[in-house]
Parts: sequence; structure tokens; C-alpha cells
Amino acid sequence: MRSISRRDFLKLGAASTAVLAVESQFNVIAYAAEQLIEGGRSVTRASGLPRSFLPSTCMQCPAGCGIIGYVEESRVVKIGGNTKHLSNQGALCGRGQAGINAIYDPERLLSPMKRVGPRGSDSWEQISWDQAMEEVGGSLASLKSRNPRQLLFLTDDIGDDHLGQRFTHAFGSPNIIASIGDFNANKLVADELTWGASGDMPDVANSKYILIFGANPLESNPQYLGLSRRLVQGIRDNQAKVVVFDTRLTNTSALSNELHFVNPGSLGLLILTLANVIMQEGLYKRTFIEKWTNVTPEQLAQHLAQYTPERAEAEAGVEASVIRTVATEFATTAPATTFTDQVLSNHSSGVQNERAAMLLSIITGNIDNRGGLCLPREQELAQPEPVPAPPPPSALSNPPAYPLASEQTIAGTFAQIQSREEQVGVLISHNCNPAYSNPDLGLVEDVLKDETLIPYHVAITPFLTETAALADIILPETTYLEDSDIIVKPSPELVPYVSLRQPVVPPLKEARPFFTIATELAAIIKGGMEQYFSFKRVDEYLSARIANIGGLQAAGALDYLKQHGVWYDPKSQPDYQAFKQNGFSTPSGRMEVNSERIAALGSPALPTYEPVTFMSQLGEQDYVLTIFDTAIQSDWKTGNCMWLDEILHRNPVWMNPATAEELGVEDGDEVKLTRPNNVGEAKARSVTSTVYLTEGIHPKVIAMANGVGHTAYGRIAQAEEIPYREPPDVLQNPNTEMIWWGHEEPGGNGVNPKQIVPVTLDPVGGGEAWGDMVVTVAKV
Amino acid sequence: MPTVPENGSAGRSSETARARAAIYRLLARVFSGKPSCELLKGLKDSDMLEALAAFEVVLEPEFIAGDEKQQAAELAVEFTRLFLGPGPHIAPYESVFIRGEGEEKPRLWGKATLEVADFYAEAGLAQAEGETPDHLGLEFEAVAALAREEAEQWESGAVDEAARLRELQRRFCSEHLLRWVPEFSRAVAGSTRSGFYRNMAVLAENNVRMHCGGDT
Repeated sequence: MRSISRRDFLKLGAASTAVLAVESQFNVIAYAAEQLIEGGRSVTRASGLPRSFLPSTCMQCPAGCGIIGYVEESRVVKIGGNTKHLSNQGALCGRGQAGINAIYDPERLLSPMKRVGPRGSDSWEQISWDQAMEEVGGSLASLKSRNPRQLLFLTDDIGDDHLGQRFTHAFGSPNIIASIGDFNANKLVADELTWGASGDMPDVANSKYILIFGANPLESNPQYLGLSRRLVQGIRDNQAKVVVFDTRLTNTSALSNELHFVNPGSLGLLILTLANVIMQEGLYKRTFIEKWTNVTPEQLAQHLAQYTPERAEAEAGVEASVIRTVATEFATTAPATTFTDQVLSNHSSGVQNERAAMLLSIITGNIDNRGGLCLPREQELAQPEPVPAPPPPSALSNPPAYPLASEQTIAGTFAQIQSREEQVGVLISHNCNPAYSNPDLGLVEDVLKDETLIPYHVAITPFLTETAALADIILPETTYLEDSDIIVKPSPELVPYVSLRQPVVPPLKEARPFFTIATELAAIIKGGMEQYFSFKRVDEYLSARIANIGGLQAAGALDYLKQHGVWYDPKSQPDYQAFKQNGFSTPSGRMEVNSERIAALGSPALPTYEPVTFMSQLGEQDYVLTIFDTAIQSDWKTGNCMWLDEILHRNPVWMNPATAEELGVEDGDEVKLTRPNNVGEAKARSVTSTVYLTEGIHPKVIAMANGVGHTAYGRIAQAEEIPYREPPDVLQNPNTEMIWWGHEEPGGNGVNPKQIVPVTLDPVGGGEAWGDMVVTVAKV
Repeated sequence: MPTVPENGSAGRSSETARARAAIYRLLARVFSGKPSCELLKGLKDSDMLEALAAFEVVLEPEFIAGDEKQQAAELAVEFTRLFLGPGPHIAPYESVFIRGEGEEKPRLWGKATLEVADFYAEAGLAQAEGETPDHLGLEFEAVAALAREEAEQWESGAVDEAARLRELQRRFCSEHLLRWVPEFSRAVAGSTRSGFYRNMAVLAENNVRMHCGGDT
């Protein structure tokens, strides 16, 4: 351009001054006498750059492994495993390492957003935190004075969201609910019924015989690395024999001594048959049954007699001789344990199936012993005073139709909202993505879009997930690498531990930790709520959480955790079979094999095989669809992690060659999976994918991986390649141009098979029966 | 047309520095967040329109005649879409436009970010937490802060210090702003649906070119 006169220059200066005079101040940078202080940093040999590191806790999946975040020049450059951590002991999976992708996702939300136009129209206005807090706080304050019980707080795992629970209870609502219900909901209910504790912990590292029913700990498990590491220890150091019954060749079964395919839905029958053989052959532990259960061996033997190996061979498809051999080996090898997971419990008969599996450990006396099926051991934390009293339950937190289900296990919440069982005033969605994860996604979308059902939806999230896309206002939360919390999980080593999550780097831009958001909201909402959030700093809250742990207090309390990332009593050994002193936490103090509570719901009191309805209706063209988890994607959570998407981005249909021949399809052909007309409601009737031929699957089963097929959550999750241009005129993520799978057809980022799954709940447990999904398959 | 003299009196220099501070601060305001009604009203002031014209920025008559409240609402959405997302957007960070040494491609929080952070530290600028150092608004504000300080030094007679601060600003302008603001301006022109941000980007570019050219 031409040069400019001094007069014009000064004129613009003066005009600018005039404009700014009426603008509020926005100083973020100022001339200051102080200089940055250098020094005190270490330098890495490899790069020569100063590098600092901090221990923290991974949140990429539910396992909560100990991590070390390495930081160079204020940027996280590597995440590794914390060798001091009791669970993962230095190992870290790909998901954990890909946390870098999450924190530096170029499409992270870094300022509050308010929707413009109808819900889901993807038009947003940036607003200030002040305005956002005023609007959200205002809505919540008004709801609190009208009807606080109309607050619904959805989260993935209530155990990981203690602050969310405190917030909801302090607000006056009982409705903090796991958005989809625990993936092991029916198992948790069965465990609670039988021995008074949610969950179990097979002591696989010390077992000699491990009987796995549909579990796949080498790829997916709530304790993931902690348990897969110990399973390998059991196999390698202890020469344990591993026998797997499943419908699919998993990485776990690949490492086993024997894999036996069972007909879909018939694992319960197989397990009870194993128990029957043990009883009939007299291989059971009479004293244990008589002393620690509420049944007699005779009662059991009589009840189990109906499950003959010949019947199981006919119905479950496993040879009678194999069943006899495995039953004998299991009962005569000590110690031994069973190992179960979703494939067994995600059925409409899930609770009964899980009770059956526990029965095997019970009759062989492998309960809470070294190498047996152990009770979960988790460090108890203190509740910072004052503790908000949980408000009386609602139909959402404790559905009347499922008295054994809890806030953590129920999967029917969205259906309840749609049928107006309870009115919701404000929905807060935090660290969850029901619009991707739940069954019947159409129902979830309908509910989230309906302003009469959900008048106001606040999404607290770092990312624009499928769920946040349907919010009214988004509060940009920090990722797990930028905030703090105390994390406890059931310990795979059976010695309780405490893990600290702490900021590896400060929050990016305007992102705020949930602690800050909750505290500030409580101060705005008031009405007595603020007293529960009077912490001056997050450290005060964290310290209060661990105040009850004497050993940790002596070791240095929070400072110790900040330095080491984890604490456990170094002298502590697993307290096997403490029930011998204290009994079990059940009404009778014994293991309730004969359950009055389940009988009251019209289900058999003794563990019983209840054929899944689809089994009798399975037509020639019908197949059972298994949606399986992998070691690469954590359901919805890791979809925006580029490194993981490169490994797993599409989900072909696993199919046995015999099935393919029946259907006249070949490897790579496109097939359409269609939900039969008569089964429930769901967003879509069918999904399409390509065939992956493998002998590693039961001929009546087809399988698809979970964790791909996003319809939101940014361009990476949707495999949208953005060609690189120089100079960049649109934000370039150096990774997005490398999305080579964006070209693949069909659907470079896969499909979400959950969109054709209806809501089907175990009538006893209330957990989703994912495994009851029947589809017809046809070549496209 | 005469250029601004390089070696004026302290009074002249102070006046220049204050004007520079104000212009950079205005630009910082424009690119740091959605506009307010007051900002839009101020930009439509007749003195401002005249001054802008000298910078080859001519606001459209429809814009000048329009209702600020409605414009502020529309531009809030446009600002969000252009510079924040969600979805494809122009990330107003130097490191996204400039590849640092040893970097295969530009990236957020790249080498350039660190160079800018180092510059702030060296220049004695303290930054509030939160924003990445090489955000366009922050870079503009950094010059404004130094220019304000420079003006005060002229006025208190510390001419050496004032000259040093003036030199720092010019260095920052040529080493940082000049190497990416023109590309940024082009990117905005190619993506925006509003004349407003196209105009403001032109203003930013022309101001930077003049500053680095030694005109101002």
C-alpha cells in the first residue's frame, strides 16, 4: 500500500482511543518489570531440550492406570506408564499414550458456547465465562427454588465423578445417573446379591486353572492392564491352564490352552452343566458350602440335575466329554478361578448367568482365597465435611421396576424420560456421550432434542461430542491432563491404593477444571449449596478426600501423591478370606446362592438357565450380533485420538466362512444387517459394512467392533481428511491430512452398530442386554 | 505523500507511540472476541471512517446504516465460526501459519509460539494465564503495551529506554507479525461471510506493513 500521512495515522490513533474508551478493559498482557525465571529444569539426553515430568492418572478408559506426563517447552510430548503404580506397574496401552491427541485435538472447545438456532443445528456463539456462569447458574438457581429434584446429572461412571455426585446431592437431587448404565450392570447386581459386594477380582496371577466365560481381559476389562498383566503372569509364572468358552476368537482366547465355541446365549446353560458334573461327581467342597452359603449340597445337586452334559451338547453346542473333562479339571486343580465379563452378563438372563458362574467358584471353595475368585478391594475415601445427605430416591435413580438396579447400573433412563416417569428441569451431561454410547440412539436423540422433556441442557465437556452437539450451552472443561482428582479403583493386586490425577500442564486457553466450574456454580446457585463447595483451592478438597488414610497421612499426604502419583501400604499383603472373621455383607452374612431377593422379582431363587427368547426364534437368516470392545478404542471416548483411529477406524462384520457360504458372500463384500421387525425400537433398521471372513467366530454369530462410526466429535473421529495447504488458511492439524482411511469405502470411519440396538433390559438387573441382538444379514 | 519522520521531538515521538498503541489495541480488541455494540458504533464514527479510509479500509454503507445490536449478534456467530469452531476454522495463531525450524508442518503451540513467549519474556511482558502467547489478539496487545510504555518513557525524558522500546516493537513486528498477518488476512478474506472481518483483516495487514516499513 501507499504510505500514510502522520495526520491520518494520528487520526486513526485518536479514533481508536475513543472507541476503546467505552469498551471494557481486556488486558491480558502488560509491561512488567519482572522477568521470567529460568533454571531448575532437567534436560533429556535424547532431544537436548529441558523436560519436566509429573505422575498422574490416565482417564482414557475406566482402568485408571498410573501415568507419567513428560513436558517439553510447556507441551506434553509423551505419556508413559508409572512404574510405581500398583495396577499397571509401568505398562501403558495405546489409548493412554494417545492422550496427547486428546489434549491437542485441534477441535477442542476452548471457550463457552451457546447455541444459536434450534438444538443440534450446529451454530454456536462464543460467550464469556461470566455470561455462561450467569446463565447456567441462573437456570439452576431458579430450578433449585422450584424443584431441585428435577436436576438430572448424567456421567459415565459415578465412582469417577464424586464431585458431580456431591454437586447433585447438595443441589437437592438424587438424580446422578450413569448415562448408559455400567457395561457390567447385570454382573454387578449378581455379585451384590450373592456376596454383598459389587464386582469381583479373579486372582489370576496366583491361579492354577482359569476358566474364562466370554471375558477378554487382554483387550477389554474394567481393570484392563492391571488384570491382563496378572493373567499373563498366571500363565507364564504359574503355568496356569486357561480354558475359554466364547463365541469369538479374542486375543485372550488366542493365549489360552483351549477355546470352545458355545452357541450364542447358552453360556449360562454350559456353566450350570459344569456345576452339575462337579456335584454329581462329588468333587465339591461340602464344608465350604455348608458353612458359607445358604444352601446344602443336596439341594444344589438336586436343582442342578436338570443340566446334563448331553442337554448342553445339544443346546450349547459343546461336546459332553469336553464339559466333563473341564469340570473335573476345574474342581481338582487348586487354586482355580472363573473370569466373566460382558459376553456373559449382557443378556436378558445376565444376572442368572453371573450367579451361575459364581456358583462354580463357590462349590469348589475358590472364594476370596489366593488364586481364587476374590472380593473387590478398593481404598475407601473420606467425604469432605459437611457431607450433603443423598436426597430420597426418585424413579430415575432407583427405578421401581428394577429394585435391584442402582444409579450406576440402570440403562433405561432415556426411555423413562420419554415416557415422562419423571420430569427433568435441567440436564447436566458431564464426561459421557449417551448419543453415541446408548442403545436406541434415536430415542436418545429424540429426548435430547425435545425441549419439553429436557428444557435446558448444559454440557460440561472438552469436546463437541454427539451429545454436546444437542446442548443449549457448553462449558469447556479441561481434559484429564489438566485437572486434579483422587482416583480409586478395585485393586488387581488386592491391596488397596490411592491414585492422584494432577495437571501435567496448565489448562489450555479458557478451559476450566470441573472443580472450578462446580465450585463457582454452587456460589451462584446458593440456597445452602455453597457450604458444600467452600474449598478455597482444589488441594483443600483433595486433602479432605484422603484425610481418613492414616498410612498416607504419615507418608506425606497430598505432597506424597503429587510426587509419586500413587500410594499404597508397602507392607500390606492381600487379606484373603477376611469373611471368615466378618462374614459376607449380605442379609444372612453368607453367600446367598438361594436368593429371596431375586425370587421376590419372580426369577428363580437358585441360579437357573433362562433361555434368551431369541434362541427359540432364531431363523435361518438370523444371526446374533456381538458388539465387542477392543484394546484400541474406549467406547466413545477415544474417537478423536488420531493415533488410535489410524489403527482402528472401521468395523467390518466378522463372519464364519460357513456362514458366508450360506449367504453367498465373500470376503470384502458389502452386507446389510437388519433388525427384525418385531424387535423393539431403534434409530435405524439396518447398518451396512463389509465382510471380514474368519474361522474365529461361531457360525451363528457375527461381530462388529465398538468405538468407531462417529457422526460428530470432530473431523478426526469422522475421518474427514483435510488436504494440507501451504500456507494454511484453515486450522491445520498436522495429522488430519494423514487420514488416509477417509478415502476407504464404504464409511472410512466405520459405522456405529449401536444405532440398530433397541433398549432391552434384564428384567432383574436392569442392565442392557446387548448380547440379545438378532439381525438378518443380506448381501447388498 | 510524506512519511512520518523517524527522528521527531520527544513530544512527537510520544504522540506517535500513543497512536500506535491505540491502533494495535483496537485491533487486539477486534480479534480477541466478538464485537460489542459500542465497538461497532465507535467504528462507524465519522472521524473513524475518515481515518480508516486512509488505511484503504472502506466500510460498506449497509454496514454503517445497520443496527448495531443485530450486527453484534450476527458477528458473534461469525466470529465463533471463523476463529473458534467447532469445525473447520481459521486458528489465529502464528504457529499455525508459520512452520518453525525442524518442524515438518505448522502446528498449534509450535516453535513460533515459543519464540513469541521468549520475546515476551525478554521484552518484560507478563501475560495473564489462559491464552496461547501467539494468538493474534495477544500479539497485537503486546505491541500496544510496549508502545504505551514507550510513550511514557518519552514523556519522562528517558529517551534511550524509549528508543529501545520502539526498536523492540519494530523487531517484533518484522520478526513475527509481518510474516503471518498478510496470510491471515488472505485466509479471512477467503472464508468470511461478512465484510466486517474482511475489512478488519485488511486494516490489520496494512497497519503491520506500515509499522514494519518504518512509517509509523
